[in-house]
Amino acid sequence: MTEFYGLPNAQEFWHWANALHFVLVGLAGGMAFLAALLHLKASEDARRYTLFALGLIALDLFVLWAESPARFRFTHVWLFLSFHPGSPIGWGAWSLALAFASALLLYLGKGPRRFLAWVLLLLSLVVLAYPGMALAVNANRPLWNALLAGLFPVTALTLALGLATLLQSPWAPYPFRLVAGLSLFLAFLYPLTLSPEAQAHFLEEGGVLYGLLLLVGLGAFARGNLAPWAGFLAASGLRALWVLVGQWQGLGL
Amino acid sequence: MPRYAMAIDLSLCVGCAACAVACKMENEVPPGAFNLWIRERELGTFPDLTVEFRPEQCLHCENPPCVPVCPTGASYQTPEGLVLVDPKKCIACGACVAACPYDARYLHPGGYVSKCTFCAHRLAQGKVPACVETCPTLCRTFGDLDDPNSPVSQALRQANRVDVLRPEMHTRPKLFYLNAPSKKGLSKESEVRHD
Ligand code: SF4
Ligand code: SF4
Repeated sequence: MTEFYGLPNAQEFWHWANALHFVLVGLAGGMAFLAALLHLKASEDARRYTLFALGLIALDLFVLWAESPARFRFTHVWLFLSFHPGSPIGWGAWSLALAFASALLLYLGKGPRRFLAWVLLLLSLVVLAYPGMALAVNANRPLWNALLAGLFPVTALTLALGLATLLQSPWAPYPFRLVAGLSLFLAFLYPLTLSPEAQAHFLEEGGVLYGLLLLVGLGAFARGNLAPWAGFLAASGLRALWVLVGQWQGLGL
Repeated sequence: MPRYAMAIDLSLCVGCAACAVACKMENEVPPGAFNLWIRERELGTFPDLTVEFRPEQCLHCENPPCVPVCPTGASYQTPEGLVLVDPKKCIACGACVAACPYDARYLHPGGYVSKCTFCAHRLAQGKVPACVETCPTLCRTFGDLDDPNSPVSQALRQANRVDVLRPEMHTRPKLFYLNAPSKKGLSKESEVRHD
């Protein structure tokens, strides 16, 4: 029996709006990545995708600010008045802001295009990487293991390429299925990488939904218009689930 | 420069929560949040029974995982070894809450993260933390680890055993539990569940 006077502060700290951001930032980073590649290939699609990337980055940054209980204290300026290399969120703030700036220059056709495209590509990789790192960095959270550092980038690309497929870009469906497959494979392995204690917790808290999302994700390999939707839904759902269910300290206290 | 630490002698603690209430008053901790709480566990089976009363709070880790993850520098460690939050810089992103292995941090309704400060404002006035001052069993000691004559150093020397929470996290806590009642040391939820 364990009882308390008062309570440990073990409540959920990242809520549905944060989970939404984890989905959006995947899309934003993925779109920025695609935009940069399209610029490097001098594709006709480049401008359109740069615009999408700009919109998604802006939307995500807005959601980040809007959901923050500190929004009207305007403390977010400190994100850009300091740099803390040990903080994935710090990397995220800088990479999103600089990715926005470089994408804007690309969109406006200002500055050296190839150079900016490379810059955007590198920054988009940071954007793709940081959300998974923001979870995996917490050694105290048994569900947020190192695999998430891989799962977040691949699911982010699944989101972006799913959207590109919906937008009828002819180059999108094949890589979409590739990253969707990789995402599903890793997501299937994920529960097996957890300690027995963590695995039990995960399956109890989110197991049914997780199984359903993996099944939905298989729809990415179906023919027709439903495939990108299926991949999109699965990738979003999985990302949100990892964030929400992983806020668990384990049984070490 | 002192290196502040606290010790709680669990062989004396009765879990009365006087410290927790004193903390609420002193620091005006908002409803629903706790800088300090008591965990009480029954261990073992009759006739070999133990109760562990364990006050918990920020351990002001020497290697605090909550500090490097902070993107704004709002979470910082003072030269005296206090881990504090500067609300003026905090964006309430929760990264530090995620990183703390001890549930010590919470979102203050004022829109920033808060937690136990080792009563930094009292230390500045040369006083001990409110929880230490109020403890009726005198099980809490506080002071400078680097000073062998400080109450905390003496208590650590005299203890039969010294434990910290989740040592495997390599956080090097500066809140020490002395004379844990169970022979196995500090209790863990994983062990209680299997009992
Ligand atoms: S107990 Fe938690 S909040 Fe306190 S210093 Fe350690 S990690 Fe940070
Ligand atoms: S919630 Fe505040 S103190 Fe904690 S990591 Fe974010 S900015 Fe830093």
